[in-house]
Amino acid sequence: MTDAATLSPSGDGASCAGRWTARHVDELWRRSDALRWPDTRVALDVAAITRMDAAGAWLLHGIIERLRRDGKSVHLAGADARVTALLELVAEHAAVMSHPPHPPQAAFLEHVGRHAHAQWHEYRSYLGFVGRTSAAAARAFWRPRRLRVSLLAKELQSAGLNALPIVGLLAFLMGVVIAYQGGIVLADYGASIYVADIVGLSMVRELAPLITAIIVAGRTGSAYTAQIGTMVVTEEIDALRSIGIPPLDVLVLPKLLALVIALPLLTVFADLLGLFGGLVMSNSMLGLNSATYLNRLAEALTLDSYLSGIGKAPVFACIIASVGCFQGFQVSGSAESVGRQTTVSVVQSIFLVLIVDAVFSVAFSKLGI
Amino acid sequence: MQPGKAHAADDGQVVVRGRGLGMRFGARVVLQDIDIEVRAGEVLAIVGGSGSGKSTLMRLLAMLQAPTSGTVSLFGRGVSVAADDADAALRRRLGIMFQQGALFGDQTVLQNVSVPLREHTRLRPEVIEQLAMLKIELAGLQPDAAALYPRQLSGGMRKRAAVARGIALDPDILFLDEPSSGLDPLSADAMDELVLKLRDTLRLTVVLITHDMDSLWRVADRIALLADARVAACGSLDELLKSDNDTVRAFFYSRRGRAAGAAHER
Repeated sequence: MTDAATLSPSGDGASCAGRWTARHVDELWRRSDALRWPDTRVALDVAAITRMDAAGAWLLHGIIERLRRDGKSVHLAGADARVTALLELVAEHAAVMSHPPHPPQAAFLEHVGRHAHAQWHEYRSYLGFVGRTSAAAARAFWRPRRLRVSLLAKELQSAGLNALPIVGLLAFLMGVVIAYQGGIVLADYGASIYVADIVGLSMVRELAPLITAIIVAGRTGSAYTAQIGTMVVTEEIDALRSIGIPPLDVLVLPKLLALVIALPLLTVFADLLGLFGGLVMSNSMLGLNSATYLNRLAEALTLDSYLSGIGKAPVFACIIASVGCFQGFQVSGSAESVGRQTTVSVVQSIFLVLIVDAVFSVAFSKLGI
Repeated sequence: MQPGKAHAADDGQVVVRGRGLGMRFGARVVLQDIDIEVRAGEVLAIVGGSGSGKSTLMRLLAMLQAPTSGTVSLFGRGVSVAADDADAALRRRLGIMFQQGALFGDQTVLQNVSVPLREHTRLRPEVIEQLAMLKIELAGLQPDAAALYPRQLSGGMRKRAAVARGIALDPDILFLDEPSSGLDPLSADAMDELVLKLRDTLRLTVVLITHDMDSLWRVADRIALLADARVAACGSLDELLKSDNDTVRAFFYSRRGRAAGAAHER
């Protein structure tokens, strides 16, 4: 198997031998430029070639062509039917082979421009989608029978109930971590009792809604995109339309409504588990007894704080559901695009959730809540 | 065709041999006791009703799946499919066109066809592209199509691009899974021509699965008819037409079978 293609000078030309196949000609290819040839007449003996494929024929063709260009006459000897056929084949296609086309490469500026244009276009169609969804929601509000209750229940289960374990665990751990970090500092000042303030306020106002929204965006938003995207690829969306079922009504509204209900509930659950995590940590590390912690919590946590945290959840839910569904509809044609839009959907919804959260913070501080 | 030393295998020699092949998924028996041979330089068509195990049989022969019983040998060597990289040298001698093309979606046609060459040879990139262009043209695609992505191709073009990738390494055997299904009659005819052209120019052995009666008349040297998980009959078209086996007669004397036959006689 080691018999590489060879080309050895002999008298008035050269003789070729060995396997002239794609796997064995690379070495010869590199050296073929440096070969020395007789001045006018070159005899090429190919009888000893044991096997030839298109790559070998293309190399031989190249060598012969170069010799001919240099004004030499080339005589091929010992070519069997297969070698002859392959040489004819590559000669016939040589023009095309020498110019492989490539997709046009955009210049940097053009790239920026196209990207900006595409983004602008996408934001506009996102707004359009939000508008159409709102209109459909309003219609459903006036005529609640349009709402599919069974679908809503199913979405509630998958987006809400099934997310309880992961949301609870992460919120609990978050409470533990905050209590630990805060406790270290507070203990130095002998103010360990205030660990309840830190855990309570940061959890209830910011972290619980945020963590819940991020988990749900990764877990449920992506599922929305993948589900709708797959349905676009398999033309199920068109099938729905053709039967006279508006895709918005069966695919988007139940998901949106389910998430608007589920996300605040999940946030309450995250609140509880986060505070519990803080309790466990301050109990074991700071030696704070549970009653003291809970009493302090009751003083620190006002209704305003609680509501300002929970109040953000429905807004986050709208963002996650609308972005998730919208990106699902953006899928075009191939299965590969489902994966791409799913990634985009998660990144965009987390991005938007964080932006909106910052806007809330600024607004609350102006309002003094 | 003049037999010569440059041949991988002399015409008529058995290059693929399946012995006692059986395949079951759970309790469902898909293939049972299949003996099949493919000879160098021929076009063997595997036909049969939907769900008769044609694709499974091809997957066994093409080293994509291990049979639950029986053995497959390629070029006289027994093969194993235990691991993905088992018998890599043998795999390189097979080209496969999958039913849906199975082109890599994030690469252009040219890049798709270059993949086997890039992986298995140490040729320079520009040489690889030149060789890929040859295969793209041989597969009957316009040179411009080489710069397109699979999603920009029509069904027929996608199949041709898949064929181009299948023959990138000049394989000895080309497996085609329903090359003309889902194509319009003109493209299907062109696909038949392509199969014959490839066999003649590259001296390929072709194993193809088809539903298309016209293709059978046009390209197949021999036909293996699968029914009830077994090979009901195997032989040239003429032999099969003369057969008095009920299954064979039902298949070839269906309305479509007769129509294709009549068209071919003319």
